Amino acid sequence: MKALRDIGLVAVHEGLDALRSRRALVVLLLYMAAALCNMHWSINLLHRLENELATALQLPASERAGVISTALWKSKPFQRMMRQMTRNDLVLQDITGKHPAELIYAFFAFFYTPLLVVLVAGNRIAEEIGSGSVRYTIVRISRAGWSVGKFLGQTMMIGLALLLSGLGAYAVARFRLAGSGAPGLLLNIVQWSARAWLYSFPFLGLAMGLSHLTRSASRATVLGILAITLCFVLSILIRHFSGESGWRAMLPAIGMLLPDGYKMCLWRRSVPPLVSGGVTLVTLGFVYLLAGHACFRKRDV
Amino acid sequence: MLPQTRCVIMDNAIETTGLVKRYGARRALDGFTLSVPRFAVFGLVGPNGAGKTTWMMSVAGLTHLTGGSVNLLGSGAFDPQVHSGRLAILPQDSELPPESRPLELLTHFAQIQGLKRQEAARSATHVLEAVHLGDRLHAPIRSLSHGMRKRVMIAQCFLGYPEVVLLDEPLSGLDPREVENMRGFFTRQRGRQTIVISSHNLHDIERLCTHVAFIDKGRAVRVATLDEVTGRAGKLIYRVTAMPTDRAALEAAVPDTTIAYDAERGEVVCHYNPTLLTAEAVNARLLPALLAQCGLLAVSRGDSLETEYLRSL
Repeated sequence: MKALRDIGLVAVHEGLDALRSRRALVVLLLYMAAALCNMHWSINLLHRLENELATALQLPASERAGVISTALWKSKPFQRMMRQMTRNDLVLQDITGKHPAELIYAFFAFFYTPLLVVLVAGNRIAEEIGSGSVRYTIVRISRAGWSVGKFLGQTMMIGLALLLSGLGAYAVARFRLAGSGAPGLLLNIVQWSARAWLYSFPFLGLAMGLSHLTRSASRATVLGILAITLCFVLSILIRHFSGESGWRAMLPAIGMLLPDGYKMCLWRRSVPPLVSGGVTLVTLGFVYLLAGHACFRKRDV
Repeated sequence: MLPQTRCVIMDNAIETTGLVKRYGARRALDGFTLSVPRFAVFGLVGPNGAGKTTWMMSVAGLTHLTGGSVNLLGSGAFDPQVHSGRLAILPQDSELPPESRPLELLTHFAQIQGLKRQEAARSATHVLEAVHLGDRLHAPIRSLSHGMRKRVMIAQCFLGYPEVVLLDEPLSGLDPREVENMRGFFTRQRGRQTIVISSHNLHDIERLCTHVAFIDKGRAVRVATLDEVTGRAGKLIYRVTAMPTDRAALEAAVPDTTIAYDAERGEVVCHYNPTLLTAEAVNARLLPALLAQCGLLAVSRGDSLETEYLRSL
């Protein structure tokens, strides 16, 4: 019980300290601003496409973005066409059930979360090892407790950044996109923030795990960026070269060790794949973190 | 509240035996054996790179040893599960988190070493006030001067009054008034905690410590009480204006003593048995005889630690 209490104390302290750190705060605000801008520019693009479509179909142009998209999205012929394309009612429901604003925000959140993680948290552990401030803590708490506490504190920070970005994106959509006044949209966007938060765990574990290996904050950030880039490159290569026989058949198993192997689970509406994907991603995060910690455990600080 | 542990009552707070720490080919500790008695204020002195800091870091579990054993408070090598709140360290060259506030940071430290929140806040306030930072409790650490940060670092060592405190160069970087305050603070802990101080300032060690160890090349080369090292208990030194003409008369004035003249230093050195005589009794008998032969500039009990250090290392 004491160990859990101590981890909680370190996590809360880390969260507060990260918030006070100007750099983390700037990154958090930049991320929120990027979410707002992304929503704004995506709506502009959507509006331009709709107007071009309206011109081609010789229909009157709409003043607000989203009118044509929403109508198209709900139309029976479009849904029939989609059903024929997907041949799967569940997937069809998953796609057509989402508001365009949700999709815009979700793409943004999933694409940029790894970068947010590296910039906010990638150097936190290395910074403390390098400055020596870790010494004050690890004579009071186990090294593992300290690492896990720092990790959980950063997950809170990332969660806050994603929540704020979701709220900001909703606010832009609410005023600029037709059909965004639906009461469930805010909740859905917040749910996307939560899904992106689950997706952030393995990247956070990877960045903070690597951060245990160096005393230099900037080197830790570079290591984090390289590792996350490597994850994406490996995922692409695995998708490209996977096959049904020989060594190609082994590749999907390797893909299961990477965060991208579970990304699509988080896009599903049904609960079982969402839960299993989420649990696996959180577990992956801890595994990456503790792999880094294993090197730190026996290290002089 | 202290954690429940298997604890053997022992006279030594720290026992280190044959410690070896290698950094590549270099041996920072080379069979370092040292026992620190409970409630001692123990000074570690020695040249740069002698192994003082490495020894402290090894005792606190911050450095992993190549060989040897540490027994801390009778419960084996440092383990945070067992020793959290019972040992504190002021490590050398270790910054505090710049965005934290002293009170909030020390309250956090006190909580993770086992104190409840209110108790932790009370302890943090108390130690920060003791180091004269009562008016900077909520200032960001980055806004504090070097000396103030050092005082926060010292204060964190005394949260909850742990049994063992390891201080590496605690007074460097402090202004003279604060040095004096910290000396007083450490002196008040005598008999309540075991304090180990590593310092190049031999004057501070001499004023603060009850025991001293001379460290050289990764070993403790001499370990004794300060009285033994400086000879305070059985040696009086008289700085005189001229060589006494009749040494036999001096020895006759105080039987059971040995009196010698150090021409180089211009000092008369009187060795006596402290179980038979007190310093006051020796002075009362010897001074008249001495003043009859020469002028007297100063009297001191034993040598200074610096003299002994330079003689030993």
